[in-house]
Amino acid sequence: MLDPKELDYKTLGFHAGLEVHHQIKSQRKLFCNCKPEMIKSTTEPDYRFERYFRPVLGEMGDYDPGMLIEYEKGYRCIYHAFEEVDCIYEQDEMPPYWPDEEAILKGYELAHWFDCTALVDEIIFARKQYLDGSITTGFQRTTIVSRDGFTYVNGKKIGITNLTIEEDAARRIKTENYGRTVYYNLDRLGIPLVEVITDHRDCDNPKDLLKLAEIIGLTLRLSGIGRRGIGSARQDVNISILGGDRVELKGVQDLSLIEKWCLHECLRQDMLIKIAKMLKEREFDINELEHTYFELTDKFNATNIPNNFIIMGIRLPKLDGVLGLEIQPRKDFGQDIFEKTALITGIIMKNMFHSDEIDSKAQRRQHKDASNNFFFSNMSKELDKEIRLALNVKNGDSYALVLGSQKWCIHGLKKIIERIKMAPNGVPQETRRALIDGNSEFLRVIHGKDRLYPDTDTPIIDMDMDEVYALKEKVGKRPWEIEKEYNEKYGLTFEHVKQLIRHNRLDDFEKLVKNGFNPKLVYKVLEETLKTIKRKGTEIKNISIEDIEEVLKGAQQGLFDNSVIPKILKEKVKSSEKSIQQILTGLNIKKIEVEELEKIYPEALDEYNKIQSINNKKLNRSAIIQSQQHYKANQITGILMRKIHRALSGKIVYEFVRKQLEAK
Amino acid sequence: MTNEAEVRDPTGYKGALREWLLRKNIGVWSMVRVKKGNAIYEGVVLPRSENTSENYLVIKVDTGYNIGIYLTEECTIEEIGFKKGEYKLPDVTVRMNKDLPKVTLLGTGGTVASRLDYRTGAVLPAFTPQELFSAVPELMDICQLTPKKIYGILSENFKPEFWVKTAQAVMKEFENSADGVIIGHGTDTMSFTSSYLSFAFQDLAAPIVFVGSQRSSDRPSSDGPLNIINASTIAGYADLAEVVICMHGNTNDTYNLIHRGTRVRKMHSSRRDAFRTISDIPLGTIDANQNIKFLKKDVKKRGKIEETWLDAKMDERVAILYFYPGMDNDILESAIDNGYHGIIMIGTGLGHVSSYMFPALDRAKEEEIPVALVVEPLFGSTNLRVYETGRDMLARGVIEGGTMIPCAAYAKMIWVLGHTKDYNEVRKLMQTNLRGEMITREPNKGYLLFQGVEPGIDEMMRKLDPNPRFDAFR
Repeated sequence: MLDPKELDYKTLGFHAGLEVHHQIKSQRKLFCNCKPEMIKSTTEPDYRFERYFRPVLGEMGDYDPGMLIEYEKGYRCIYHAFEEVDCIYEQDEMPPYWPDEEAILKGYELAHWFDCTALVDEIIFARKQYLDGSITTGFQRTTIVSRDGFTYVNGKKIGITNLTIEEDAARRIKTENYGRTVYYNLDRLGIPLVEVITDHRDCDNPKDLLKLAEIIGLTLRLSGIGRRGIGSARQDVNISILGGDRVELKGVQDLSLIEKWCLHECLRQDMLIKIAKMLKEREFDINELEHTYFELTDKFNATNIPNNFIIMGIRLPKLDGVLGLEIQPRKDFGQDIFEKTALITGIIMKNMFHSDEIDSKAQRRQHKDASNNFFFSNMSKELDKEIRLALNVKNGDSYALVLGSQKWCIHGLKKIIERIKMAPNGVPQETRRALIDGNSEFLRVIHGKDRLYPDTDTPIIDMDMDEVYALKEKVGKRPWEIEKEYNEKYGLTFEHVKQLIRHNRLDDFEKLVKNGFNPKLVYKVLEETLKTIKRKGTEIKNISIEDIEEVLKGAQQGLFDNSVIPKILKEKVKSSEKSIQQILTGLNIKKIEVEELEKIYPEALDEYNKIQSINNKKLNRSAIIQSQQHYKANQITGILMRKIHRALSGKIVYEFVRKQLEAK
Repeated sequence: MTNEAEVRDPTGYKGALREWLLRKNIGVWSMVRVKKGNAIYEGVVLPRSENTSENYLVIKVDTGYNIGIYLTEECTIEEIGFKKGEYKLPDVTVRMNKDLPKVTLLGTGGTVASRLDYRTGAVLPAFTPQELFSAVPELMDICQLTPKKIYGILSENFKPEFWVKTAQAVMKEFENSADGVIIGHGTDTMSFTSSYLSFAFQDLAAPIVFVGSQRSSDRPSSDGPLNIINASTIAGYADLAEVVICMHGNTNDTYNLIHRGTRVRKMHSSRRDAFRTISDIPLGTIDANQNIKFLKKDVKKRGKIEETWLDAKMDERVAILYFYPGMDNDILESAIDNGYHGIIMIGTGLGHVSSYMFPALDRAKEEEIPVALVVEPLFGSTNLRVYETGRDMLARGVIEGGTMIPCAAYAKMIWVLGHTKDYNEVRKLMQTNLRGEMITREPNKGYLLFQGVEPGIDEMMRKLDPNPRFDAFR
């Protein structure tokens, strides 16, 4: 595996794109009249029901290969439903109602934000198959509203290939029975979603990818199209490197981990490509892999084998050392194969083993739960020899073992072989689940276009295109435009712009800046001061923009120093009817003229000298520094500020002190 | 990919757009590039559904989505390829296990077997029953299932003549020693057909199982597979010799109900568990692991198939009239004028119609046209002796239908009138329980319509049915 520190995205040919799913703010669900709201996850459901799913043909007459794998998983799906937010539509007991046109129009509106050129004139809902049970119909109703738009990240144009409107899926609660029984909460099912798909060739480094996700999120926020709240946005990341293939990482909720996931995926793809080369050098031929499974139960100590379970093994020619190769940090190729096998068949990880794991330094042996593995505690060097003999494992070969019922063992070994047969081609197209440690595991074969077919329950809707084009007027400044403008005009960064948009303070900011206040001070008050006093328990909702303006005005006039702004704002919340002057009086901040400063100055100087003499005794060397004018002026200003209760801005006082010192 | 010689057909497109496409030799399955303003659309042209607006071109784009583009004179279109699509399930090699029971599946249409129709954009029956094997391979391990398509009609387009044809097709299968017959049928009028077949078969010695689906088979969540698997098991194994309907018992994919063909009715327009036995409990249940449990003691057991014979006579001049407040005499009069031979009337409450209807009833009596009353509440029985109106009706010769449900009464009268037009005979037969269509004891459990307020109902709703199908150690 590459050293993560030395990885260079440019050389690797890293390319990535996003599929951002964001809930739309709407009055109802997309296909029924239920409230688009989520129920607290601890609530006991009002009713439960269960279902099984089967694949159906695509419109062009083919089964989607991904769907067949999904069916092989054989999920039993149990649904938790709530009377408040679910009707028999979510239960898949009735055809859909007329789709929510508000949500569809919001899709078009968002298309204008991204300057999409290819808007569709007719809305045709399609069914996109999902056999994991997350949608009770077994398909998601989805429609394209437009194509060919764009956005900018750091000045680089990023294509938006498709913008779709679809229904959200149910929330997965838990799984049982080796992952074969899946529980879903039905509250989220049917909430309208917009999916923004970016061109997966356009982003060439993870930092830009993170920013791209943020920019799309900010656009949804700015436009008011997106619903807010936890779980309202999810993104899938498409990653490929040169010589690799498109891999979709699902479940990327935490944007801060995007870079890590990209890194680990690059490591994996790079390693899979290297493995493919290695196999070529070894003249590995997939036809040598035979589906011949041997029972090896009698080689093991019978008392350790669970009831009704057997052990079966298979020879893996020319693969010695390959399954033990690290493809992601702390994870070997064998584990990646086993994860896929486990997901499809339901066999648990600890009941699978490959011959490289006889080594005590094998990756999985270092894991926390290694002791649970049946084979780690039952395999020995002698047993290894016996098994090699029984399976006819030659030098340079490898083998794999599975513990389970006969049906399980055969299914598992079959899946292991099928995956290894893909190894000479490097990176298989997969949808993978992103894990918190930055690694990922197989989730499903990447869904193809054959899983889509027209939804015959929903009539085709001819859009009023005049109304659709009129939505363009609702488009305001885009986040990437604001970023550029604020950077040029005010010197604010993307981080600053992000905060202002997220807290809906863009208008306030612009108004205050327009009224002549210092942009950086305005930003500081809006984004930092308010946050700080809120943290200390002040209800900032009660602070109006007029209040803030009044306080800023005071600071600008030099009535007080910027550092007392939080104090004054806090007072303003407590008694909003008080004028700034009254508050200042209450805080014992009296208006002070420069003449008064002159009166207090000698006192301050005395105090300063006193402190200095004490300090000088302690540390002689510091005298050199203290003699510097700059330091002295700062110190005296501080003392003066305290004495006048910060009733003047620090800048004025500092200027005064400097003049005094110079005059001397 | 482009075949220049071929003439393209823009199926379903109309008017100016069609002309334009023909001129350009662009048809369905052409890959095209459309330019409209600064937008470029690429995709495969799909057939256009009927009853949709003109001048929209539907294309399937690379992502698999279909989009509609409104074409104007400013647009340009060119063909860049051609890809024909065909909607067909892959063929499977059928291996028959000779030790398994022989069952025939007669396909009549309906949503057990259906596909998309580009013309209307709706679901149409079109899968050949053979294709069921590739969709539901489990069937091969249950019985030697021979699928035969007798016709493909939607449930609502069924007529009594199709009942007779269906019955004859079933009889033919029994003659060819089938152990049971399944009829794939649209759900809307399934209980009419099941009722008729109940009357038409005499000394029935094997099961005839009606099955359908409430979620069409073009959906991953279809109830069809479990229904057909369970129907096959009943047809092949159950010790039962009646015409039954086998559909989901509730919203879960966990068990089906076995309903007597003359007592069952579709009670919901779309739910999986739409079929309910009226005024009684169903004959039995069959779970997702195909365990059959009979709940009624009077289930007719299998006999010698040689003794089964078909008596599929009919007279389809029978009408159903639904009485409503303010109903005018003229409707019944018109039925008589139009030469109907029998009338099923759905009367309010215990089976009443208003006294305004009496002159027409008098006329029916005079012309010896049997008028049988069934109850509008669906549950319960007629009783025309309780109130004066009822007694007046009886005096005018109306026949009490008892606990017969409307579809069963209708099918029965059609069958009866096929044998005799004699008023007294018809009356006698209509009031005799022939195939369980009339119940003489109504159990308390026969009327369970929960309202969501019953004590313990919330607990019941949260509980899942036991499901033996799921086996952790497969």
